[in-house]
Amino acid sequence: MLVALALLWEAVVRFKFIEFEYLPAPSGILSAWGGLIASGEMLDQTLHTFYAVAIGWTVATALGVGLGIVLGLSATVRKWSLASFEMLRPLPAIAFLPLALLLFNFSLKTELVLIIYASLWPALVNTMGGVMNVSSQLRDVSKSMRLTRMQTLIKIVLPAASPSIVTGCRLSMGLTLVMAIIAEMLANPHGLGYAVISELQAIQPQRMFAYIIYIGLIAIGLNYILTRISNAILRNHPHVRGQNV
Amino acid sequence: MATAAATKRAIFECLDVRLELPPLQRCILEGITLDLREGEFLTIVGGSGTGKTSLLRVLGGLTPVTSGSLLFGGQKVTGPADGVVIVFQDYSRALLQWRTVAGNVALGLEGRVSSAELKDRVANALEMVGLEKRTEDYPWQLSGGMQQRVQIARALALQPAVLLMDEPFGALDAMTKATLQDELLGVHSRTGTSYVFITHDIEEAVYLGDRVIVLGGPPGRIYNNIAIDLPSPREQIVTRQMPEFLALRAEIHAEIEKSKLAAHAVS
Repeated sequence: MLVALALLWEAVVRFKFIEFEYLPAPSGILSAWGGLIASGEMLDQTLHTFYAVAIGWTVATALGVGLGIVLGLSATVRKWSLASFEMLRPLPAIAFLPLALLLFNFSLKTELVLIIYASLWPALVNTMGGVMNVSSQLRDVSKSMRLTRMQTLIKIVLPAASPSIVTGCRLSMGLTLVMAIIAEMLANPHGLGYAVISELQAIQPQRMFAYIIYIGLIAIGLNYILTRISNAILRNHPHVRGQNV
Repeated sequence: MATAAATKRAIFECLDVRLELPPLQRCILEGITLDLREGEFLTIVGGSGTGKTSLLRVLGGLTPVTSGSLLFGGQKVTGPADGVVIVFQDYSRALLQWRTVAGNVALGLEGRVSSAELKDRVANALEMVGLEKRTEDYPWQLSGGMQQRVQIARALALQPAVLLMDEPFGALDAMTKATLQDELLGVHSRTGTSYVFITHDIEEAVYLGDRVIVLGGPPGRIYNNIAIDLPSPREQIVTRQMPEFLALRAEIHAEIEKSKLAAHAVS
């Protein structure tokens, strides 16, 4: 299917069925791609983006899961802070870009601030929901067995909420990559997002397309890896495992 | 059995217990006075809405009493007491679905006993309920009856002084129920544990109990307290056909009808 589409695309461009001034043929994109790999440019940009994604996602999910657990466990904390979180959550992270730029300039810091702000929420909301949904019956079991609060958290609440927590972290990863690319396009002159923009400005559509397709492949690959990891984590949760494929 | 038990020490002592629950401070239980003797099998029978489960939660320390006194081993109950464990009706929601059978049974022992003793006690408890061959299975791989056995084993592994059971066989089919009743009586005869067993099944209450308490309501009150002098060990066919069994069944049935009329008159 994909191959047929690529062939059709090649034919359209080569025989000029429809004319676009800057639409490159797949063969052109492939050879530009080869050049980017050979020069090491693509690797450099990839490493930068991966670095930002790894740090951003780790911090965002750690914060999100941590806050989500506290909010899920304590009705008092929810009462006093949930309104504030619900105010902050819908604000589009990209709107903070000028502010972040003023504070941190065109830098990795700006990129990370945007990534973390955007990808915090799925982890937080899903963790909170998962913790709040642990059945009251399980809590009664824990009380009747005289488990301490810490034991209840580790042995009952977290495992019971783990499907939601894992889902939240996966959703965060999707946003992390999106925000990294956007931040690199606008606020940090490094990485794959910057590469796409600079090839655009240099009027190098073949190289630009190579980067765009490459970013798509990375997104698919990351999702695949995370799905495998979450299935491994949830291997004992039969009721949710199927939904995570 | 009941007369022998009466000479033994009381484990639970309930005196004029009243329970009101928010949000409306509705009265759920009133004037509950009862005691549970060491090794006794006490069944509590009543219709729905008579406060059976609430009474069990009070005994289990999950719900504090509004007034009156509740002592366990001479101590005032302020929370779940050491040596008292509840077995819940809904086994599928009471088991940790992500843990194996053995992992579930070990839940209350982890961090409290040595790993050798833990293994020993888990194996013993599972043998008592006949699940020694399914230790590595997950709850969702077991039938309902087996899952309830896991929950019972988990409670037994703690070697409790009292097991509080909230309609544990209510969701099981008749054949499984009969098997589990006999297994439970077998376990009861081999350990010194006392039981408070809640049911809405009159026959089950008579078959299992050394003593039956009839709860009526709402609000829940004790309408009668009947000693069951049937010979032990009990046997599904023989015991259930004894004239004494049938007479007790009829008597308790009549008591429940009376309690319904009385509750109706109160409200």
